[in-house]
Amino acid sequence: MLVWTRSGKAIVWTAFAVVFGLLVLLPFLVVIAAAFAGSWNGVLPSDLTGEHLRQALSGDELASLSVSLQTAFMGGLLAVLFGTWGAMAAHGSRFARAADAMHHLPIAVPSVVVGLGLLVAFSRQPVLLNGTKWIVVIAHLVLMVAFSYGTVAAALQRVDPSYADVAASLGASPARVLWRVRLPMLLPAISSAAGLSVALSMGEVGATIMVYPASWRTLPVSIFALTDRGQTFVAAAEAVVLLATTVVLVLILDRLRGRAAER
Amino acid sequence: MTVQLEDVTVHFGRTCALEGFDLSVAARETVALLGPSGSGKSTALKAVAGFVRPTRGRIRLGGNDVTDLPPARRGIGVVVQQYALFPHLRVADNVAFGLRAARKPKAEVTRRVGEMLEMVGMASYGRRFPRELSGGQQQRVAIARALAIQPSVLLLDEPLAALDAQLRADMLGELQKLRREVPEIAIVYVTHDQSEALALADRIAVMRDARLVDIAPAAELYAAPPSAFTASFLGGANLLPVAMDEGGVTVAGAVIPGLKPEEGKSLLCIRPHAIRLEPPAAASAAAAGGEGVLGSEALGGAGALGGAELGGAELGSEALGGAAMGGAGARGAVEDAVEDAVRLVGRVVAAQWRGASSQVTCLVDGLAEVSVRVDVPAGRRVPEFGAGVVMVLPVEACSLVPAGVG
Ligand SMILES: Nc1ncnc2c1ncn2[C@@H]1O[C@H](COP(=O)(O)OP(=O)(O)OP(=O)(O)O)[C@@H](O)[C@H]1O
Ligand SMILES: [Mg+2]
Repeated sequence: MLVWTRSGKAIVWTAFAVVFGLLVLLPFLVVIAAAFAGSWNGVLPSDLTGEHLRQALSGDELASLSVSLQTAFMGGLLAVLFGTWGAMAAHGSRFARAADAMHHLPIAVPSVVVGLGLLVAFSRQPVLLNGTKWIVVIAHLVLMVAFSYGTVAAALQRVDPSYADVAASLGASPARVLWRVRLPMLLPAISSAAGLSVALSMGEVGATIMVYPASWRTLPVSIFALTDRGQTFVAAAEAVVLLATTVVLVLILDRLRGRAAER
Repeated sequence: MTVQLEDVTVHFGRTCALEGFDLSVAARETVALLGPSGSGKSTALKAVAGFVRPTRGRIRLGGNDVTDLPPARRGIGVVVQQYALFPHLRVADNVAFGLRAARKPKAEVTRRVGEMLEMVGMASYGRRFPRELSGGQQQRVAIARALAIQPSVLLLDEPLAALDAQLRADMLGELQKLRREVPEIAIVYVTHDQSEALALADRIAVMRDARLVDIAPAAELYAAPPSAFTASFLGGANLLPVAMDEGGVTVAGAVIPGLKPEEGKSLLCIRPHAIRLEPPAAASAAAAGGEGVLGSEALGGAGALGGAELGGAELGSEALGGAAMGGAGARGAVEDAVEDAVRLVGRVVAAQWRGASSQVTCLVDGLAEVSVRVDVPAGRRVPEFGAGVVMVLPVEACSLVPAGVG
C-alpha cells in the first residue's frame, strides 16, 4: 500500500502494531486479566481466581445478562423489522431523501440526548412508559433502527428493480413478489442488519442509563454501576461475559447470513 | 392477442425515453424493434409490460385498455435485457415461478417445467442456481420462464445478445419453431442486430432518439428504405449525395440511367454487396485480354470502357485530383451503355477481411468526405490500399432516400 521499500514496510507494520496493540488489544487483555485477578498490586495481577466470574454469573448479575439479551432481541429485531420496512417503503419514492435524513437522526444525535428525550416524552400521560422495560426497548429500537435502515437501503440500491417487475409479469401478486422475490433477495442485508443491531444493542449505555428502571438493568449498566462502586474485578468479569455473549451472538447471526448469501 | 400502443410517451424525470410512440402488433405477428443504444426500445417494451407508466397515451391488449393494469394482470411473457433470473431460486423453480403464482397443480407444474427446459435445451440444469450458469444459459432459462405461463404476447429484449454465433442461430431456429407451434402469439422483439430482425420479424420498426422512425415489412424496409437513417442502420447502406436536373439524377457528375428524380430525396442508397469493383480503366484496358485481375465480370466492364472516350491519361492520379475539383466534369464517372449501371472512380482507403467477404472502403473522386463501403466476396481479389478502382453501381440496386436530419 503505497510503501514499497523493505524498511518502509517494516516501519509501517511496526507503527500499526504499536497503535493496534496499545489502543485496541491491551485494554482487552487487561479486562480479561482483571476478571481473573484476586488482587492486582504489581505490574501483573496475582492470586488468579474464578470467583469474580462465578459472581458475574449469579443473582442480579445473571439477571442483567438475561435483561440484556431480551432487550437486544426485542429492540434489535424490531429495529430490523422497522428499518427494513422503512427502507423498502422509502426506496424509489419521493420521500426517500426525507426518510434517509429521519433515520440518520439517531446516529447524529448523542445517545444520552435520545435517552433524555424519551424520558421526558414518556414520563406522563397519555403514554406513560417510564419505569417499565418498554422504555429501554424503545430506546434501543430508536438507536438501532438507523443502522438497519442504512444497511437495507444500501442493499436495495444495488438490487435491480427488474426482478420484481419480472415476477409481477409472471402473474405474482404484490404480496407474493414481496415474500418470494424481494425479501429473499434482501436476506443477506437483513441478517447483517440484525447482527449489527444486536451487537450494538448489547453494548448500549448512553441512552439506557437515562431511562432504565431498577427492574430492567442491562449488563453494560451493571458494569458501569459496579465500577462506580469500586468493584472493578467483578465488573471486569461481567465485561468478559458481555464480550463472550456478544461474540457468540454475532457469530451465530453471521452463520445465518452466510447461509442466506449462499443461496 | 393484438398489442397496440397509441401515442405512448414515457419520461424518466427530465429525460424523455419514448415520445409519441404508435405501434400495432397483430396476433400471429412478430415485430422487431430495431435501433441504436438508448433509442428507447427497452422503454417501449417496459411500457407494454406495465413496468413503467406512460405519461401520455394508451396501451391496448386485444382491444382492452390495459394502461392502468398492473403487470401481473396483463398475462404477458417478458424476457428483460439482464435476464433477471431470481438468484435464490433454482433453475426449475425459476421456470415454475409463474405457474406456482397461478396456483397450477403440482403435477402440471412439473410437467410444464420439464417441457420448457427441454425446449431450450436446459433439461439437465434444473437443479442449478442461476449464478452457476453461463450468460447464454441464463438467457435460455429466462425465455423458458417467460413461455411457461403460455402468454399470448411475448416481449423479448435482446434475448440472444449474450449467445455465440452458433447458439444464436440455434435459438433463432427455436424461436421460429415457437412461432409455428404457438401461432396465435404476438411477439415484440427488441434487438440492435439487424440480421436477427430480418430473420425473425414480419415487420421491423426502426427507432431513433425515443421516436419511431420507420415501420414496414422487413423485405420492403430492406429493399427500399424510406429514410437515410433506416438505410444505413439496416444493412449499412451507402448514402451518396445526388444532384437533380431535368436530365435526371446525377451522382458525382454521372447520370444514373433510368432513375427518376423525386422531390425531397437527395441521397442515393445502395447496399455494400450490390457494388462491384473493377480495376481502373487505364490498367484494365492495358490488361484487356490478359488475365482478369478482378474476375470475369470486371473484364466485361473493362472492355466497354476501352471503347469509351476516356483516355488512359485522364485517369492518372493528377488528373483525378483535377476531376475532384472540376465539379461539373464527368471525367470521374462514366456512364455505362451496356448494362444499366453507374461507374464511379475512386481509390481504396481501407479494407477489412470478414471471412465470407471483405469490406473495402473507397473514396469517390468528386465526392469529398463520402466513403463507399463495398463487399467483395471471398475469392475475388481485394484491391490494395491506395489503389485506384472503379465502383460499378447497378441501377436496379439504387434507390433514393430523403436526407433527413442528422
Ligand atoms: N430508469 C431510468 N431512469 C432514467 N433514464 C432512463 C431509465 N431507463 C432508461 N432511461 C433513458 O431512456 C433512454 C432510453 O433507454 P432504453 O433503455 O429504452 O434504451 P434502449 O433502446 O433499450 O437501449 P439499449 O439498446 O442500450 O438497451 C436512454 O436515454 C436512457 O438513458
Ligand atoms: Mg435496452
